[in-house]
Amino acid sequence: MPTASTGDRPSLPLTARDGSRRFRPDRWGALVTVGGAVLSLPLVAVLLRAGGESPAWESLVGNLLGGYIATTVGLVVLVVALALPLGVLPAWLVSTCDFPGRRLLSWMLVLPLALPTYVAAFVFYRLPEAAIPALVRIRTEHGADAFLTAEFALRFGLLALMLAAVLYPYLYLAARSAFSRQCRSQIESARLLGDGIAGAFFRVALPAARPALVAGGAFVAMEVANDYGAVHFFGVTTLSAGIFRTWFGSGDLVAALRLAALMMATMLVLLALERLLRGRAQYLTGSQATPPARRRLPAGKATLAVLVCLVPLAIGFLYPVGCLAHWAWLHVSAEGGFALPAGLRPVPALGLAAATTLFATVFAALVAYAARLRQTLPRRAAGGLLALGYAIPGAVVAVGVLSVTGFIDRLHLPLLPLIGGTLPALAFAYAARYFAIPLKLAEAGLEQIGRPVEEASRVLGAPPGRTFLAISLPLLRGPLIAAAILLFVDLIKELPLTLILRPAGFETLATTAFSLASEARLQACAVPSLLVIAAGVVPLFLLEKRLSPSRRHD
Amino acid sequence: MKSRLLLRPFLAALSVISLTGAISAAELTLYTQRHYEFDEKLHQLFTERTGIKVVVVKAAAEELMTRLQSEGDRTPADLFLTADGAGLARAKQAGLLQPLPDPAIAAKVEPHLKDEAHHWVGLTMRARVIYYSPDRVKAGELSTYEALAEPQWRARVVARSSSNAYNQSLLASLIAANGPEKAQAWATAVRANMARPPQGSDRDQIRAVASGLADVALANTYYLGLLATSEDAKDREAAAKVKVFYPNQDGRGTHINISGAGIVKASKKAEQASQFLAFLLSDEVQGMIAENTFEYPVTKTAKRSELQQSWGEFKADALPFSTLGEKNAEAVRLFDASGWE
Repeated sequence: MPTASTGDRPSLPLTARDGSRRFRPDRWGALVTVGGAVLSLPLVAVLLRAGGESPAWESLVGNLLGGYIATTVGLVVLVVALALPLGVLPAWLVSTCDFPGRRLLSWMLVLPLALPTYVAAFVFYRLPEAAIPALVRIRTEHGADAFLTAEFALRFGLLALMLAAVLYPYLYLAARSAFSRQCRSQIESARLLGDGIAGAFFRVALPAARPALVAGGAFVAMEVANDYGAVHFFGVTTLSAGIFRTWFGSGDLVAALRLAALMMATMLVLLALERLLRGRAQYLTGSQATPPARRRLPAGKATLAVLVCLVPLAIGFLYPVGCLAHWAWLHVSAEGGFALPAGLRPVPALGLAAATTLFATVFAALVAYAARLRQTLPRRAAGGLLALGYAIPGAVVAVGVLSVTGFIDRLHLPLLPLIGGTLPALAFAYAARYFAIPLKLAEAGLEQIGRPVEEASRVLGAPPGRTFLAISLPLLRGPLIAAAILLFVDLIKELPLTLILRPAGFETLATTAFSLASEARLQACAVPSLLVIAAGVVPLFLLEKRLSPSRRHD
Repeated sequence: MKSRLLLRPFLAALSVISLTGAISAAELTLYTQRHYEFDEKLHQLFTERTGIKVVVVKAAAEELMTRLQSEGDRTPADLFLTADGAGLARAKQAGLLQPLPDPAIAAKVEPHLKDEAHHWVGLTMRARVIYYSPDRVKAGELSTYEALAEPQWRARVVARSSSNAYNQSLLASLIAANGPEKAQAWATAVRANMARPPQGSDRDQIRAVASGLADVALANTYYLGLLATSEDAKDREAAAKVKVFYPNQDGRGTHINISGAGIVKASKKAEQASQFLAFLLSDEVQGMIAENTFEYPVTKTAKRSELQQSWGEFKADALPFSTLGEKNAEAVRLFDASGWE
């Protein structure tokens, strides 16, 4: 596998192996090293503190770890398995077929990204209550064991379906972009050779899109693994839930951080696998790929296509938003309005999210470019390490950030203001936690640009910096804007870091929604929840304008 | 209003870059685990009366403790509030709290609801009771927490996850009363008697009894008040279908817990913080809490709400919270060993 990718990567002169360059001070390297080191401090702090003394660790490993891992793997596998058809089939339909409503659906299918999983959980977790009479009947007619099996299957299945329906857009976006870049010739050959549309999908398009699907699937997997709110509501004890149980219940933060370190190690392995698979993708998608022409579907098949697109959209967005709107309406009509809580600061909260997005996206482009410029192990490792914040629960990253800011603050350095509990510290935490999003998209974007363009620039004598500014950055604009929007939407929804690290009296829409939900005031909580979703829908609309393959080909 | 909205980020930025980091003297910073909207109203009332502004950081108790520890002597926090007495005991043990400057403000608080060295004081009390369906259970069948382990309750009990602090503190009280072996056997037997695996909140346990899924539930008292006054009609119906039973009345008493507060060691506003606690402990505010969050007052002089009175009087287990705090980690270990998720 690696041979296929290295064969496609001539390493001269872009990688500057010639002696004249070797001893020049490497500004790219310095910038990435210093910035990356600072940004990785919270994760390093987590790893360092995980080495401390832990009274609960041994019994944790002996009694519980196996169960936590089995539950986590089971849930991740089930969610990814469900999210695959929910994301990939609509992606295939909107990129290769034409049917009424296609353009609208093509956009709307990304909307579940605006829905935080903890909000979806408020809506979904009480659904099994409706099944209680049926469950009680199972218990009286078939006994306790059948009842317990049915109850667990219902709860676990509903949680998995809900997570899949909220997270499938990562796969949808990856698949849609892969399908729209695939060669018309490959797919048409398959069809000419008698494969039919389904055959073309399963035998040509799907295998060719595999690296993109692996990347999208990795995001889904990470989101499931690091989720705490939803699994907590549904009473499913994943590793993430185990971290909080150990920390809050046993008061053993060290053992909790060790569980987080385990999650990071797993993630490193997954990222390495993803890199291997993505490496091969270069080989498969030609640079002169022409997207296949969209086939107009006859009425019967068009109805079916609309249905296939509507299913994920309905579960992951229309139903929960409909419920929230209904509750919000009940609340507002009963109370005659919605009183925003005293500390709500939507404007600075959005500003904070925007500033973090800008900084993180630009820096991610630099890190990705530096790693590409010279593929040294430290640079690639830096890229890997910086992405790990996404693999663990936000509260653990918060512990790392607290360790760093607390250490500096307690030094009482003259002239240095207090860092902990400030908005800049929160922005730093956001960046450390979510850096994977802009980094991975920037890396993928750079791979798409293709080295020949940059190599031409370098051969003509432009130094790496100028090549980056004049060639790579403008070509990267699309992926970077996409990354910025995805990151921004995630920051609007962000909860654990904000809860733990915010300045006193600072409430965001997400913390307001969460606070009301923890009082189980679902109707009141629907109002700020809808506002969080609305704040995410607008940038997602812009994202669609930027990403949609149909924009260029309609 | 609009100009204030614009001003706030500017002021926030100013406070960030100000060299002293000092906040105006007329402001108290609370790190609180309490999630009640009613608390905000109390803060406003306090500000109206004293001119002291109250700003809060709300998160889980352990998260806030981790933050307090990291911030050390530079923390902006003046008060630390939890919804679990053991958490306060742990905060005291970690050296995060200072004694009340004027212990007299807590004089009316019952002795087992405050720290003997006045590092913290209870503000509200809640009892962990047995809810039952009067259709399927006679009150005479219920007696103690211990009795829920008997086989007659097979597939009839519901309780939430053992990750929950209220359950941990209940098991800690059983460890204190009966020893660790019996406590573990109890947890194992109650888990075996459950009608479904532990899940959801205390409210969901009450709903499960109301819906017929289970016959008895372990949950805190105030949730019944919250359900009975909920904006959701289904919750009000559920509240009407269950009754409260106070266990262990012939012995040590019903397990109770508190929500309480201590003054943060590094706070330089102990006087104002103490003023805030005195305000919360006044008969007037204790009565308001009883009417709104349905938590019990911690002082004998304050009046319970009518709804609380309808649940009857009870004898509370007077086990010190420091003991509950010490046994909390052991309780989690026993839960793990018992299979109570």
